[in-house]
Amino acid sequence: MKEIMQYINRDSFLHRMNPLSKIAAVTGIIALGVFTTNPEVLAVMVLGIFLASLGAGLQQELLKQLKLLVFLSVTLILLTVFTLKSGETVGYLIPAGILTAGGLVPVTTGALDFGTVLSLRFFAMLFAFQLLVVTTKPSDLMKALLAIHIPVDYVLMFVIALRFIPSLQIEGQRIHEAQLARGYNPGKGLRGKIMSVKPILVPLVANSLGRTQVLGLTMDMRGYRSRQSVEKNQLTWNKTDIAAVGCVAVMGLGVVLGGFM
Amino acid sequence: MIELRNFSYTYGTAGTPALDSINLKIPDGELLLVTGHSAAGKTTLAFAMAGIFHHEIGGRIEGDLSFKGKDIRGFDGMKELSRHMGMVFDDAESQLIFTTVEEEIRSGLENRFHSEAEIGRRLKEVMELCEISHLKHRAPHTLSGGQKQKVALAATLALDTEVLILDEATAELDTKAVRKVFSILKRLKEAGKTIIIVDHNIDDFLEIGDRVVLLEKGKIKAIKSPSDFKATFHTHEESTTSLPLSKNDGQPIISVKKLTQRYGEVLALDNIDLDIYPGELVAILGENGSGKTTLVKHFNGLLRPYSGNVTVKGLDASMVPINELVKHTGLVFQNPDNMLFEDTVEAEINFGLNNIGVKGPEAARAILHSLELVNLGEKQKVFPRNLSRGERQRLAVACVVAMKPELLVLDEPTTGLDAEESDRMMQLMRKLQQEGHTIVMVTHNLQIVRDHVERVIRMESGKIVENSVNRKFSSKECVSKECVRGGTCA
Repeated sequence: MKEIMQYINRDSFLHRMNPLSKIAAVTGIIALGVFTTNPEVLAVMVLGIFLASLGAGLQQELLKQLKLLVFLSVTLILLTVFTLKSGETVGYLIPAGILTAGGLVPVTTGALDFGTVLSLRFFAMLFAFQLLVVTTKPSDLMKALLAIHIPVDYVLMFVIALRFIPSLQIEGQRIHEAQLARGYNPGKGLRGKIMSVKPILVPLVANSLGRTQVLGLTMDMRGYRSRQSVEKNQLTWNKTDIAAVGCVAVMGLGVVLGGFM
Repeated sequence: MIELRNFSYTYGTAGTPALDSINLKIPDGELLLVTGHSAAGKTTLAFAMAGIFHHEIGGRIEGDLSFKGKDIRGFDGMKELSRHMGMVFDDAESQLIFTTVEEEIRSGLENRFHSEAEIGRRLKEVMELCEISHLKHRAPHTLSGGQKQKVALAATLALDTEVLILDEATAELDTKAVRKVFSILKRLKEAGKTIIIVDHNIDDFLEIGDRVVLLEKGKIKAIKSPSDFKATFHTHEESTTSLPLSKNDGQPIISVKKLTQRYGEVLALDNIDLDIYPGELVAILGENGSGKTTLVKHFNGLLRPYSGNVTVKGLDASMVPINELVKHTGLVFQNPDNMLFEDTVEAEINFGLNNIGVKGPEAARAILHSLELVNLGEKQKVFPRNLSRGERQRLAVACVVAMKPELLVLDEPTTGLDAEESDRMMQLMRKLQQEGHTIVMVTHNLQIVRDHVERVIRMESGKIVENSVNRKFSSKECVSKECVRGGTCA
């Protein structure tokens, strides 16, 4: 099974970083990604994140998401082509002479630029967030979030959401097997996926909802919710931390001062 | 220490109380066993004693409940109570919050602000005690059900609370693991902890118990000493009915030859040879992770052999598509909730029939017949998830039986069922056998095997280590070792 968004137990420079500085860097990248509309700045960010993953030997993890991201990019670019008309027209989606003499759905440079910017934003944000999650133990993530005074309930929600991703994948697989054993054959491709929604999603959602009571009580009985503070000495900073946060901060300044907004 | 006086509790919207006028005093250091049938109020009593109704769930509470001589309402919520009480629930999966076993236990310890040295010491101690040190870096979703229960237990034990409540916390453990829990609890009892074990099967703990509380319909029916309980309620009747042993000279319905299966690096099945003949009732026994479920998944094509081959009624199971094989092999999984999704019991059964092309009056007849077989004839229009656990399990069987497969494979059909429901399930197995089905059940329940099953196949680390006929059903018993290679031996 392909595991997504799960901590990988390894020893890389990213693993050794302080979770707080990683959170700061990721937050910075997300903020930058939202504010800048300059494709070069975004491309530099994506490249930087990818180089960091290469340095930590985690490039495979990022590449796993490539299929999803490419699908997302194509959809976004198509969407902008359909909805945005600005700049020069470089061609038509339905070329001239097929349905009409002049061609239908013009593809404009403005739409292509905007679609590219949107895609790069997603690349940067998702890659950065994924590197944070796969290189930080959930308990360290929890400590860091508590240290910056995020309410404990929200922190637990976040940690639990991450923890249950593979469990839901496995449970989905089990339900799928149970339905196969009843002769269910939804077929392949998109139609099959749509057909299998009800027999698989209904048990999956119902089982997850049934789980919430025990989950909540466990957190109470183990004292998670009464945990408010974290000793600061458990979180130490090293050179990489300063470099990472520094890099993002410099880029941020560059974007603001250089007028790349 | 914990005292209930005229305590009654009614869930939010329910009309009748789940607990009715309970009077019970549990002194410090007692090991109390609470038992009863499904819906007798066992879990409700466990929740009540932990203060969960007063501080978390609410509902209509009458009477008094005190802990350490103080009204339970006087405690500062679960925050304060959880420093004194630890509770392990039945659903192990939901009790694992972090991504590694070590983190799971460590984070609970950190919540209590112990020093780093103490955290390290307790972590090591409790992992060794529960025999999970080797699972330290494993993620919860890679653990078996039994291993998950051990981790949930370890995470609670680590907190070293004065009171420990176990609510059906050992249901998925095999015999060896239950014995381990027994010795852990014995040690804790000697250390002066108060322990409350709530379970529909308390046999494994009678030896260390001080008292047994028997609940029925929310009331205390009896409080007895373990020895009295054993004498009164445990007169296990030896059934005299014996079925003729099936003839094994015909063609096997399932034939497994040199079957090997791998999950990555792990060898899950190692060179298995096995024949199962029409009309047999066979049990596959084994500890958690011994390869039982992996083996039976080959019978309907959910898994294809890594090497070797499996034939089902002469069909090569590695070539024939699943939706063809399921007409011959019906597989009922352990958790019925993983398959129920329709709005009525009837529609649920119809789903499978539809998939194999049975429609109209023929389908209606099959639905009626299978529901009558499993004693759910009255529940045709009921929403499946509103049925009790035992009923849902029987519905799962009906869904598969309706498709009229010659071979029926049941994975842990009695897990999570009380004695009465388990018995009903086994009666059903017998009935299906008499109707001509061949039945294979995967289980770790020895009692059931002894009482009901003709042939026993025992697995260990992916191998068959025993293949013998149950003495109760045959005078021609055989020494297991001789039978290992020979397949059947009657």
